[in-house]
Amino acid sequence: MNHSFEVDGVEYQLWLSRCREGYRLCLHDRVIAPIAFSHRRDGCGVVMIAGESQPVRFAIDGETIHVHMNGETRSLHYCDPLRTLARSRQEISQTVARAPMPGVVIVARVSPGEAVSAGTALMTIESMKLETVIRSPQDGIVERIHFKEGESFEQDAVLVTLLEERT
Amino acid sequence: MHELPFDSVLIANRGEIAVRIIKTLRKLGLRSAIVYHDIDAGTPAVSMADAAIAIDGRTPNAAYLDIPQIIAAARKANAGALHPGYGFLSENAEFAKAVTSAGITFIGPAPESIELMGDKIRARNFVQRHGFPVAPCAIEEDDPTTFVRRARAMGPPLLVKPSAAGGGKGMQIVRDIGLLEDAIARARSEAQRYFGDGRLYVERYIETPRHIEVQVLGDALGTVAHLFERECSIQRRFQKLIEEAPAPGLSSELRQRICDSAVGIARAANYRNAGTVEFLLSGGEFHFLEMNTRLQVEHPVTEMITGVDLVAEQIHIAAGRPLRLTQSDIVPSGHAIEARLCAEAPERGYAPTTGKVLVLDYPSGDGIRIDSGLSRDQKITTAFDPLLAKIIAHSPSRVETAQKAHRALRDLVLLGCTTNASFLARILADDGFLHGHIHTGYLEEHPHIAAGDPRADLSGFLAAGALLTGPVRESADAVSDLHAALGSWRN
Amino acid sequence: MQQLSSLVDVRSEDYRLNELHNRRLAKELEERQQAARFARPVRDLDRLKRQNKLFVRDRIEALLDPDTPFLELSTLAANKAYDGEVPGAAQVVGIGIVAGREVVIHADDASVKGGAWYPLSVKKIVRALDIAIENCLPVVHLCDCAGGFLPLQAEFFADRYHAGRILRNQSILSKMGVPQVGIAMGHCSAGGAYVPALSDYNIIVEGTGAIFLGGPPVVKAATGAEISAEELGGAHMHTSVSGTSDYLASSELHAIAIARDIVARFSDAVKAPINRAAPEPPAYNASELYGILPRDPRTQFDMREIIARLVDGSRFHEHKARYGETLVCGFARLHGYQIGILANNGVLLSESALKGAHFVQLCDKSRTPLLFLQNTTGFMVGRDYERRGITKDGAKLIMAVSGASVPKFTIVCNASHGAGTYAMAGRAFDPRFVFTWPQSQISAMGAEQAAGVLTHVKARQLARHNGHLSTVELAAIRQPILEEYRERSGAYYATSELWDDGILDPVDTRNALAIVLSASLNSPIASPHYGVFRM
Repeated sequence: MNHSFEVDGVEYQLWLSRCREGYRLCLHDRVIAPIAFSHRRDGCGVVMIAGESQPVRFAIDGETIHVHMNGETRSLHYCDPLRTLARSRQEISQTVARAPMPGVVIVARVSPGEAVSAGTALMTIESMKLETVIRSPQDGIVERIHFKEGESFEQDAVLVTLLEERT
Repeated sequence: MHELPFDSVLIANRGEIAVRIIKTLRKLGLRSAIVYHDIDAGTPAVSMADAAIAIDGRTPNAAYLDIPQIIAAARKANAGALHPGYGFLSENAEFAKAVTSAGITFIGPAPESIELMGDKIRARNFVQRHGFPVAPCAIEEDDPTTFVRRARAMGPPLLVKPSAAGGGKGMQIVRDIGLLEDAIARARSEAQRYFGDGRLYVERYIETPRHIEVQVLGDALGTVAHLFERECSIQRRFQKLIEEAPAPGLSSELRQRICDSAVGIARAANYRNAGTVEFLLSGGEFHFLEMNTRLQVEHPVTEMITGVDLVAEQIHIAAGRPLRLTQSDIVPSGHAIEARLCAEAPERGYAPTTGKVLVLDYPSGDGIRIDSGLSRDQKITTAFDPLLAKIIAHSPSRVETAQKAHRALRDLVLLGCTTNASFLARILADDGFLHGHIHTGYLEEHPHIAAGDPRADLSGFLAAGALLTGPVRESADAVSDLHAALGSWRN
Repeated sequence: MQQLSSLVDVRSEDYRLNELHNRRLAKELEERQQAARFARPVRDLDRLKRQNKLFVRDRIEALLDPDTPFLELSTLAANKAYDGEVPGAAQVVGIGIVAGREVVIHADDASVKGGAWYPLSVKKIVRALDIAIENCLPVVHLCDCAGGFLPLQAEFFADRYHAGRILRNQSILSKMGVPQVGIAMGHCSAGGAYVPALSDYNIIVEGTGAIFLGGPPVVKAATGAEISAEELGGAHMHTSVSGTSDYLASSELHAIAIARDIVARFSDAVKAPINRAAPEPPAYNASELYGILPRDPRTQFDMREIIARLVDGSRFHEHKARYGETLVCGFARLHGYQIGILANNGVLLSESALKGAHFVQLCDKSRTPLLFLQNTTGFMVGRDYERRGITKDGAKLIMAVSGASVPKFTIVCNASHGAGTYAMAGRAFDPRFVFTWPQSQISAMGAEQAAGVLTHVKARQLARHNGHLSTVELAAIRQPILEEYRERSGAYYATSELWDDGILDPVDTRNALAIVLSASLNSPIASPHYGVFRM
């Protein structure tokens, strides 16, 4: 089972192996070797990739690692398989409307217990100075509204939880 | 400088502009005081100020808009003057009045000027009356019953704007005349919510104009000088991203006409303190857009090419002194570019980003100025505008300046929150930009600049990430030499 | 150590013809293995997809650490049985790396007869668990078996090494402190139900995994009650009510992730200390084995040419080179591990047997694992040899080989006949692993010789009734006997019956040996200790 990182919403699978000169990185379409990392001081180091040295700055924040190299910055999120694989199932049994971006709740358009159909407006949020309507991904009953009016939330936060409607 | 009538200034703002104001106050030997919401505790502006007074509100934003609390803070800090910065209450005439009535010097124009220019419809009519060029438009309050018809008659494309517009909020472009009424409804809802004022007007929308603005300074005696123009055409959703001075490729004749118009408008308005007159320029013709009655975000480019400290001049004027500069004293030199570092991801439709500053390392060097209110460990939330810092470069030529700013953006290290730094760097390296072929729709016309390269090779980052991630390295180290050497061998 | 110098002429016609022949054999092996692994009726694969189950090969790949080796064992088990309809005996077994640890993987292949256990399936699973016991290797069971194939129950149910042995071996492993992880990925019923139940840890997949002694049809037949598999033995019930399962997984991949996490927690293996150096590749290319192995199995060849293409630096420290020359003995390294090699260079004689017995004891004393390279028609027969005590000397070699405590590995390179099979650590002598090369023949005596004996016996019976037989009549009797004998002594038959742990392409032998050598060191090596050598 490969390790998995998410960068800018895209999943990358990889595996690291040891080799004589350091490590070997197996990506889905190629292998890069040798690679190595040497720490210089806190948050600074040098990455050697196939013979070329590249100074890097980095910060590790839980399962997210922020890297600056060659003038660019990326945040790589390590996807712990135990969590990511366990979560996928929950989302099937319970439908949630997530925040497409961070923002603030302007108004909740439904109340818990209310039956909604796919496409029903659940909530109006404001983000990037624009109003966005969060719509129901499917038919169901509103179980919970997670944020009050005026409250702010992060990207991917669960805004509304729905229960599948039973017949 | 002569003795000023006040020795302490309260800053009713936060972030980079508060830091920038404190720097000038220190230079002038004035004490600085600042108001802050708890969310900003520990930020550089709050730590740098000589006094800091906490304020609160239903939201952090509301705290900085709370006039009574801020006046009380100014009193508490014994501040003789108040600098509003930009945004928040900086263009609120009521605030300026309240400050003045509290016996505190407001570092900005008279409330009447703010009122005049703050109401976009009044401002437009004022400018037109004084013989300066304006764009054709339909104003709702002229006759609400015929508003839509009058707007429709202008033909597409149109721009629906709130009368109380600011920062691009509530503006709607209409290319399909059938959608005009929808756009009006949406603009009204946003205007009502943001400004508590749903009045609208509709302007002919010019598709690819350049945004040229002129920095002016006026004193109580009616003297007005300009500090030349700035080009602010690189925008997204009416928000400026890259500003420069001087505007590239402007003939000296046209530059003169634009600057003269700005001075004329300021003079007609009896304008005091620093202000900016904005114009749209298209096909050699320009017309008045609006006047901002405050210090602009992009003021550093003007400071870089003129050597004038605009905040110092604001204080000087607010103290009732006549302008220290005559027009002929103001001689531009070289080229300056400012790039706005924002907590947003242009690659994802400029979605705002949040995080915590884990590593912060700004570039430095000759001709590089960083205006920042950030520090390590600071949380970046969506409570405020996404502007984090401004990277300003100055050198003799435009291309050199762009290169310098480009390098600075690539060297800048901010870890913990996604920023638009790479995107800004991409603009500065863009051929069209370097050739000066810019207009306000430039980024929409060239969406690849914002999108970046979605197929960019991330293997270097993945390599670094893999080597720095515990579980990844542990699983590599757990495999014996033999098995690692055999790789994915199968029989 | 001295490097062997090869005398093989890679430009000779003989070499070229051998190479053509052996490459064809290797290709055939690859194709047969490929078919056993992947060729399935579309409806069976569709059924898996419908059931939301992964194909067994994908399950294993997900379980393994990427970029690490997997040595599959007995891929062609049952290839000559059940009309070839039960590829791999519906089981996948191998040694792989999970979270850095060497483990035995045992997986039911639900794409073959729903993963039902056939007699050879049981033999393959018992063997997998024997490997785990002998080498102290943790086991991961990927369970997806609805039970035994009833029509053949007499061949897999009651006897000592029948299905009960699976459960017994599991219990012994647990007692030894060698952990097992079971994942119920499909219905595990009857005997199959005990595989996850007897694993120290088990995981059950929500929706598809179920464990019960009798499935819904059995319950209906016995009690008339209608009950769903989920209710009877589903994931939720077993993790919250019966306690039969420990972990609830939301998907097969989730279950695999949990299993990997469990294995990662196992304490690091303590390897038996043996002499080891930095590995180095052989000086001669392994692919030259194709040109060296004679296309006619009766042609003699020098085993040192094989050794030169297996061992580190092609270096070989030969023992008693001038004595008992039909058995080559000596030390070498394989991926850095020091090993002692016994390789046949012809028929075994008294001197060869004595030399071999001596060398085995040397290796045992110095904790040096033994590698047997078989190519022998057996021990020499005849009056003089018997008088010189060839049986007595052969017994010494058998005693030494049987008694040696160090791990033993056997490669049937070409011929393996008679007591030669035994003295060279045949299957019965518990070498840790036995592998066969595609052209080898294994039988009590060589095919030609045996066919001669059998034809002679048959001819005598017939002659009693019909008088004298013509040459043509004799040939007609001999030919089918020879053919059947050859068929049943070939590598494919041997591997079908699990007499070995799989057929290897000769060029894969070095890596396969490295993997099993490393795996064998998970169990401690007992002190040298022998029975009575007849002097």
